[in-house]
Formats: sequence, structure tokens, C-alpha cells
Amino acid sequence: MPEIYPVGMADIRIAKAPDVLAVYGVGSCVIVAMYDPKSTIGGLAHVILPDSTGIASERLNPKKFADTAVPLLYQTLSHAGVFKGSLWAKVVGGAEMFPPTEDFSLNIGKKNTEAVIDALKKLGVPVMAADTGGTAGRSMEMRLDSGRISLTVLGESARDL
Amino acid sequence: MQFPSPLFIMARNSISVWEYAMEDVLQLTKDQLDALRELGNIGSGNAATALAQFLNRKIDMDVPMAKILPLDQVSGLVGGPEQQVMGIFLKVMGQLSGRFILLIPTNTAVKLLQALMPGFEVATPGKFGDMETSCMREIGNILAGSFLNALSVLTRVPMLNSLPSMAIDMAGALLDTVISDMAAVSDHVLMIETSFVESQENLRIHIFLLPDPASLDRLLEILGVK
Repeated sequence: MPEIYPVGMADIRIAKAPDVLAVYGVGSCVIVAMYDPKSTIGGLAHVILPDSTGIASERLNPKKFADTAVPLLYQTLSHAGVFKGSLWAKVVGGAEMFPPTEDFSLNIGKKNTEAVIDALKKLGVPVMAADTGGTAGRSMEMRLDSGRISLTVLGESARDL
Repeated sequence: MQFPSPLFIMARNSISVWEYAMEDVLQLTKDQLDALRELGNIGSGNAATALAQFLNRKIDMDVPMAKILPLDQVSGLVGGPEQQVMGIFLKVMGQLSGRFILLIPTNTAVKLLQALMPGFEVATPGKFGDMETSCMREIGNILAGSFLNALSVLTRVPMLNSLPSMAIDMAGALLDTVISDMAAVSDHVLMIETSFVESQENLRIHIFLLPDPASLDRLLEILGVK
């Protein structure tokens, strides 16, 4: 039986086939999935904020920010023995859950998505697929035997990514 | 050597907030948490009274708690991360800032609307129209306003709430949006939590107040527990 490992906010986890990595209830956070089909090793980073600039290094949790979490996931997977050449990424999340009012707009989902895509570009990891933005929360499970992601939105049936 | 207070530095130079923000919320003492809980008690007492008047029903209040939660536990606060709820979100503005969130199970939201607008045919939660939306936002406005008003009187610091924003979605997805940028430094969030219960129809509303990390020092000072 494959194990399902949930990945909480500001967390990074890697696993190998046949296990499953999952995140339930993603709003403005962005989930970066990296997967190497040759070694069937993959990982998820649950990014909550775009940019770590301005945070004192001794207090910095690199798993939170797009600019630090994406390289950290890449590094962790490299140590685990993936073939860097066949590694690809998928990006999920970054919704704007609360509609803007006259007083404020949060806009954090969009910033997170842009920062994640930017960090992946810097590493040279190709983005195979993305499902980002919108106003609805998402849940996802990634099967590490195929790298396929099953995506759910409230009130809709699951679809593949 | 004596350093100026963090808030002073921020006001003068507008350096990045996070570098000088309150130390990790994990360092809060029991006395400080008790004082924050008492703050929650006073605020929610006032808000419960306002809601009772608004609905013309008896509203009971759970004992408020000041909780420090690790980030990965936040999404499961109200019946699991995928539980469908209505979230009403407001920003607290002024010298003390923060976030105010109501999480309402969707069936409770429908019953609240029916109680408020007798004779009006309330749509199913996914298909709320302008009437339902503005009515729920008004409930958020009244609850936040009365909560913060009580705190303003107590602390003598004016606090205002922004206009509310409302969404219906997975509880986890609504909460991550609200707490992510409060968690830039700490891996934990501080929340003052309570819930209101109407026993006749078993309606339950969850209320969370999250002081901004940068406001926490000032708040503790005002409460005399710094």
C-alpha cells in the first residue's frame, strides 16, 4: 500500500514511488512539485511567501519563501540521487481567496506564483504544467510512480495535471 | 547599550518590519498569554451581546483562548483543511494592527441568513447573491466592530476595522491566505480564539483575532505584561 504524506505550510518533503505526497486546502500558498521520472523520486515545497529579503539570516526559515524553498527542494532531491537532467516541475496554488475590498487587496497568491516560476527558471528546471491563480482553494495529491497530480477544487470532481 | 524600541525604529526609518518585529511568539509567558486571553474575553463578550441583539436570540460564548499554533496545524483548525466554510476577513487598522477572521460552517451561515431575513429565499452557499453576501459581510462588520470597540475602550488605543471580505471555500485555503504574511519570521502564529453558540438551532461561529507580530510588543506594554 502506498503511503500518503501530507505536506503542511512552510514544509518540504520528498518521497519515492509508490508513495504519494499531498497537500489539502491550498489558498494563496504555492505548491512546487519536482519529479524525476527516471529515479521516481519527487518532492513538494509548500511555499507561503514570495521573498525572504530583509529577514535576518539566523531567523530565516528557508522552507517558507519561494526564493529559498525552491533551491532547497532542488538541493534535497539532488542529494537523494535524482537525475537533474530529467527533473521537471509542476506548480499549483496561488489563488486570491478573499475578493479585494475598498480597503485592501491581499494579492499574495499572484506574487507567490511569480516568485516560484522565477526561482524555477533560475535553476533551469522546466515547468511541465501549472494550475495557479483564480479564486478557489485547491487540494492535490502527487503519485510518485508516475508524477501525475490529481487536483481537486470544492464542488468539482478531481482532474489530472 | 540601550537600543530604541523596535516600533520606534520602524516609525522613523521604515526599515523592514520583520527584522525588528516581536521575538518569536513562542517566547510569550503564561502571564502574557493570560492577559491576551482576557483581552479576547472582553472583546468577544461585547461582540456576543451585539450578535444577540442583532439576531434577537440568546448567544452563548465559549471561553476564549490565546493559542500559539505551529503553521502546519493552522489549516486543520475548523473541522479539517478541506471542510467547506464561509470566511469573513477584516484587517484591524490603527496603532495596533492585526487580522480578524470569522469562520462559519456553511449550514450555519444559511440559518443565520434565514433568521435575519425571514421570508427571503436564501440561495445555496455556492450561489449566494448580493443580498446574502452583503448581509454576511454586515455580520462580520458588526462583530469585528463591537469586538474592537471593547478593546479600544480597554487599551485607550483606537482600533478600526476595514471593510470585510467574504469567501466560501476550504477552511485550510482560507486560513493560509490570512496567516501567511504574519508568519514571515516566526514558525508559529498567535491567535485569540473563541466561538459563539446559539443553542436553539445549534449555530456556531468561530472567531479569530491575530495581532500583527509588529504590534505585539506594544499590545503587551499596554496590557502591563511586557
